[in-house]
Amino acid sequence: MSIQNTSKSVLRVGKNYIKGYTDVQKKVRDATSNEPWGPSGEQMNTLAQLSYNQNEFVEMMEIMDKRLNDKGKNWRHVFKTLTLLDYLLHAGSENCVIYFRDNLYVVKTLKEFQYVDEYGKDQGANVRQKAKDITNLLMDEQRLREERRSRASMRNRMNDGED
Amino acid sequence: LPTRPVDREKNETELNLNIKKATSTDETAPKQKHVRKCIVYTWDYHTSQSIWTGLRVQPILSDEVQTFKALILVHKVLQEGHAIVLREAQAQMGWFETCARTVGNDSMRGYAPLIRAYVSFILAKLRFHRHHKEFNGLFEYEEYISLKNIDNPDEGYETIMDLMNLQDQIEQFQKLVFAHFRNSANNECRISSLVPLVKESYGIYKFLTSMLRAMHRRTDAMDALEPLRGRYNTQHYSLRKFYYECANLKFLTSLINVPKLNHDPPNLFDSPDG
Repeated sequence: MSIQNTSKSVLRVGKNYIKGYTDVQKKVRDATSNEPWGPSGEQMNTLAQLSYNQNEFVEMMEIMDKRLNDKGKNWRHVFKTLTLLDYLLHAGSENCVIYFRDNLYVVKTLKEFQYVDEYGKDQGANVRQKAKDITNLLMDEQRLREERRSRASMRNRMNDGED
Repeated sequence: LPTRPVDREKNETELNLNIKKATSTDETAPKQKHVRKCIVYTWDYHTSQSIWTGLRVQPILSDEVQTFKALILVHKVLQEGHAIVLREAQAQMGWFETCARTVGNDSMRGYAPLIRAYVSFILAKLRFHRHHKEFNGLFEYEEYISLKNIDNPDEGYETIMDLMNLQDQIEQFQKLVFAHFRNSANNECRISSLVPLVKESYGIYKFLTSMLRAMHRRTDAMDALEPLRGRYNTQHYSLRKFYYECANLKFLTSLINVPKLNHDPPNLFDSPDG
């Protein structure tokens, strides 16, 4: 971890404290931070499990909504929140599916997201592609249902193996 | 009320700022982040009234670039906003006509003909939506609509003719935009008006393809469909050329994926999976 990243994470801890974010909100903010590595499988799995609790779910959506509507410079917030969202749609509670179907336009309108960084690299392309994939998934109810079912059965098989 | 966490008062204030920034005097594309906020607003509150009010408050009509950018903004909100925008826009004919009338013939940067053509296209689009309420702003394909029309072949026929007329209007307008590119200047603002046109023409094209296929499957009177097939094929070649020319505009391809059509039009006697 570089010094710059260390100071960033220190800053995030401070912000979490000042703004009074809840534990689950801090977890979402960590998983979707500006650091140049993706949310870990473990982080996403934890959040997927927490989404089954109604209160935690509402608190999570509040942060995800903020992150998804963030500005171009913070394209990583947007991109990583879409990554987390994709995971939640597969392994999170049914509420995640319902919520994002209701608010489909929040994701759909990211299909033209733009950001070119200071080196001239088009970072918006990542967001645009992910927004497109998730929009298609949300609009294809049958496919989404099948993918959720196969994910659940895979999880059950793995849990059975541990017994 | 939206299920998202929102603050209406804050959103209303921000909306005016977004409209102002999207229609600034800079001769550039309207910034997508501001356009997006306007689109999201209509979904959050199921209304577009504040947008029309906001457009009237801004001194847009005194500047040709601002007027042109406002039309791009409006076009995108009509396409991607909540369905209510298409209905509420019907009461805004006067504003559109004022846009076309206000801009002078001696416009310094040559936007006057583009503004007049854009207004006439948007008015045609609004007339179409007034008669065919089942379509959304981007003509996104939904199976039930084509099924609905096969049950009533006359209505299907007429809907297809109306869609083809709208497609011809897009064709005319995009040609005018290309004809007004300037060698010396940066054409970003002009090019950005092609983005909603590419999307809309492709939506119509896909719709026509699936509707015509469904009609061919259902009918015995292939001869009766011959004029539609002929016109469909002509439009296919024009669209192919349009997309080819768009694919050469680097600024445009950085904003959207431009569809690539096959050389020959798809066979309407085939099933969609064939």
